[in-house]
Amino acid sequence: MKGILKSMMVTASTFARKPVTREYPESHRELPERDRAFPLLLWDEDINEPFCTGCHACERACPVECMTVIMKDNPNHTAHDGPSKRRKIIDSFYIDYGRCMRCNICVEVCNFEAIAMNNTWQGHETSVYDRSDLVMDLPQLLAESKAGEIQEWVAE
Amino acid sequence: MVVEAPSEFETQDLLINVGPQHPSTHGVFRMVLEIDGEVVKDLVPYIGYLHRGAEKLCENNDFRQGIGYMDRTEYLAAHNAELSYVMAVEALGEIEVPERAQWIRMILCELNRISSHFMFLGAFGIDVGVFGTPFIYAWRERETIIDLFEEISGDRMMYAYFRAGGLAWEVPANFENRVREVLASAQQGVKDFDGLLTENEIFIARTKGVGFISAEDAIEMGMSGPTIRASGVPLDIRKTEPYLFYDQLDFEPITANGGDVFDRYIVRLQEISQSIDLIGQCLERLQPGPITPERMPRMLRLPEGEAYIRTEAPRGEYGVYMVSKGGNKPHRLKVRSACLSNLQALKQMSVGQYVADAIIILGSIDIVLSEVDR
Amino acid sequence: MSTEIFGIENVNVWVDGLIRVLLIVGFMTVVVMGLIYGERKILARFQQRLGPTRTGPMGLLQSVADALKLVGKEDLRPRNADPWTFELAPYLVFVPVFLGFVIVPFVLDWQIRILELGLLYFVAITGVNIVGWIMAGWGSDNRYAMIGGMRAAAQGISYELPLVLALVSVAMVVEVPLADGEVARGSLNLNEIVASQHEVPNIVWQPLVVVVFFIAGLAELNRTPFDIPVGESEVVGGPFVEYSGIRWSMFFLAEYAALLIMSLLFAAVFLGGWAWPAGIFTDEDWPRWAQALLVAGKASIFVFMVFWVRASVPRLRIDQLMGFSWKILLPLMLAQVMVNGLVLVYDWPEIILTVVGLIGIVALFAMVDRAVRQPRQRPASAAQLQSEAV
Repeated sequence: MKGILKSMMVTASTFARKPVTREYPESHRELPERDRAFPLLLWDEDINEPFCTGCHACERACPVECMTVIMKDNPNHTAHDGPSKRRKIIDSFYIDYGRCMRCNICVEVCNFEAIAMNNTWQGHETSVYDRSDLVMDLPQLLAESKAGEIQEWVAE
Repeated sequence: MVVEAPSEFETQDLLINVGPQHPSTHGVFRMVLEIDGEVVKDLVPYIGYLHRGAEKLCENNDFRQGIGYMDRTEYLAAHNAELSYVMAVEALGEIEVPERAQWIRMILCELNRISSHFMFLGAFGIDVGVFGTPFIYAWRERETIIDLFEEISGDRMMYAYFRAGGLAWEVPANFENRVREVLASAQQGVKDFDGLLTENEIFIARTKGVGFISAEDAIEMGMSGPTIRASGVPLDIRKTEPYLFYDQLDFEPITANGGDVFDRYIVRLQEISQSIDLIGQCLERLQPGPITPERMPRMLRLPEGEAYIRTEAPRGEYGVYMVSKGGNKPHRLKVRSACLSNLQALKQMSVGQYVADAIIILGSIDIVLSEVDR
Repeated sequence: MSTEIFGIENVNVWVDGLIRVLLIVGFMTVVVMGLIYGERKILARFQQRLGPTRTGPMGLLQSVADALKLVGKEDLRPRNADPWTFELAPYLVFVPVFLGFVIVPFVLDWQIRILELGLLYFVAITGVNIVGWIMAGWGSDNRYAMIGGMRAAAQGISYELPLVLALVSVAMVVEVPLADGEVARGSLNLNEIVASQHEVPNIVWQPLVVVVFFIAGLAELNRTPFDIPVGESEVVGGPFVEYSGIRWSMFFLAEYAALLIMSLLFAAVFLGGWAWPAGIFTDEDWPRWAQALLVAGKASIFVFMVFWVRASVPRLRIDQLMGFSWKILLPLMLAQVMVNGLVLVYDWPEIILTVVGLIGIVALFAMVDRAVRQPRQRPASAAQLQSEAV
């Protein structure tokens, strides 16, 4: 019976320790800067347009084919007396968050540093009532970066 | 002791379905037991509830995209799964991996071994019947390890961190301090489990002498990992065919003599302590340096050939057999799963025991269904 | 006939009984719900987590929420269930437990009835709920329920014996002061048992009996490590697997009410109840409310120990459980009864009882150790089945 008493002593010592529970959603854990939630597009504030030019590099690299990318001629290009150097710009961009496996490959292959993984809590709290609401379109993907809430982490 | 029924009673054997949904957390596994009173006479396992076609999917994805799928074939020890795949690619392409990347890979694989063994201890505690205390202790320890993984790779379970030739990006600056913190907490966790379960008389009465498999039978069935080491066979791939830099480390495979459930538990508990020691040795040898080779092509194309690489995952020998016919995708990828081979011995270990023991024996093999079914 | 209650004279005996019953039932329901909440909180603290926190302040309304949920569930009945046994089983489990509250001594004169054969009544009544378990198991037309019911019956019957012998060995040596100044020994009247402890509680004289009563009590309550009928991985609900809603909650309430009775009995028989150190029948008594708090404190020691054991210890297998009762606990209790008898007859000093009790505890530890270390006995057909399986 000594072993049983020893087990009870171990449990008693745990009784005295502070509980490790965190009461979500009142208190959120602080996320590390490399945290990898779903992908987002970045907004170029100097020129007021997205960084993304719609070059399809991420769409081809995605293992689960969760993106749909359509590009268009940029009306803001210097050829049309605009400030931008991008000849083409993104027209519509759909990412299906239900298929994305957050592998980070789209970030690695992007030539323009236009896509980044969301490292805030909003990236993790993406519950919806209807599964088709998980397909995010361009305004939804740009919303957080436009509002200045993103501090993306770039791997050296 | 069971009293044999007198022969004038006509008794019937009962078929019990221990269904795909378990109260104990092993995943979707089904077994049909034929019992006579309390004694198990026959056992038929059914698998395949978690088959997702990972091997076929990898044929359509190139060598970087496939790493995400390998994570998901063994989600509790994902670094080990990625390691086999990435080493197979490097063997086929004859890519040199820099030293620092190798040491960091070893540290991460050993940390994953610790977290996987803690998960085993938690689930095993529930199988044996303690209400929830070992499970919560296990998750408390896993939280510290997984938080560290999140700081390094960004994800808590599906890391996709290893790449052919090294690592995806450099570890954070406080890596060494964080690892030492995690090791200190893991050591406390081992002490808690040791005090809670190892000398508990009821635990010993439940697990000693149960589910015995002899060394010869285990070798014939092709078992590996802690399950076979508990039967006395000192088979540890890190010692017999050293990969990465395991030949520079100082350790001995942990074995036990009994071959029963208690020995499998003890071997895994002691392996956690051994891994803590190994990580300490790796940290001493870690030097600054590059983590990828100098010239890595953007799109990796491998010459024709085939390679079979095996590593010591927490559950046994996890092997990746890759056939390449040129091009940037594997022609065929086969995963040799440790749990599937270990599961073959379930019937032999359980027949002749009581029903309650069959549950414990299944728990002691420590299967994770995503590896069995892929 | 008339009696007085709460200072009101000439109350009809039946009305008096009814008032007491209603008070106790009301008190018991609230306390049982508090016990369920307390168990979840205390178990959570043993596991380094918080328990219920969201329903009501600090989760206090959790039991109320559970009760409302259970009451609102659909009342399922398997098509092939035997109607009489299936319907009556919850009552046969629930009612004897409530009847057991008749003799529990809360404070002097604060109980339903003082029975001369109080302990005998208690033991007899708690034996009836085993029949309820078998009825639930058999009437459910479900092989898992039947397995669970048979196991519960075997366990319940096996552990009755050490429990009864434990109570008997205490009742034997109780001192009852008679009217003419003499002292009689031996009584089953719970009030007298409590009153005889006004200087020294029984735990000092009978340490082994306390340990055995605790273990046998855990088995009678179907609590870890003896909760095979209700907690096994493959017979998830045991005999109650086909019940839902209110009927299941009756089983659940019965379990906690039995826990409450057992703990109050433990406080009364072994720890001195309301009499130690409060004193009896004198003017330096503690006031009644203080005695009630004292009894509550002693009962909660037992309850805390039950929860503590639940958080720490694995479950026994059915054959190990039976072996433990018949081969270890029963011989020890028989020896204890003999020693008590010798002390009673030959008028030896009572310190012998303590010494023998402590030796008995050491013997218990040694016997358990030896039983665990010896090589395991396999079923007789095991070797043949194994060779066929390869």
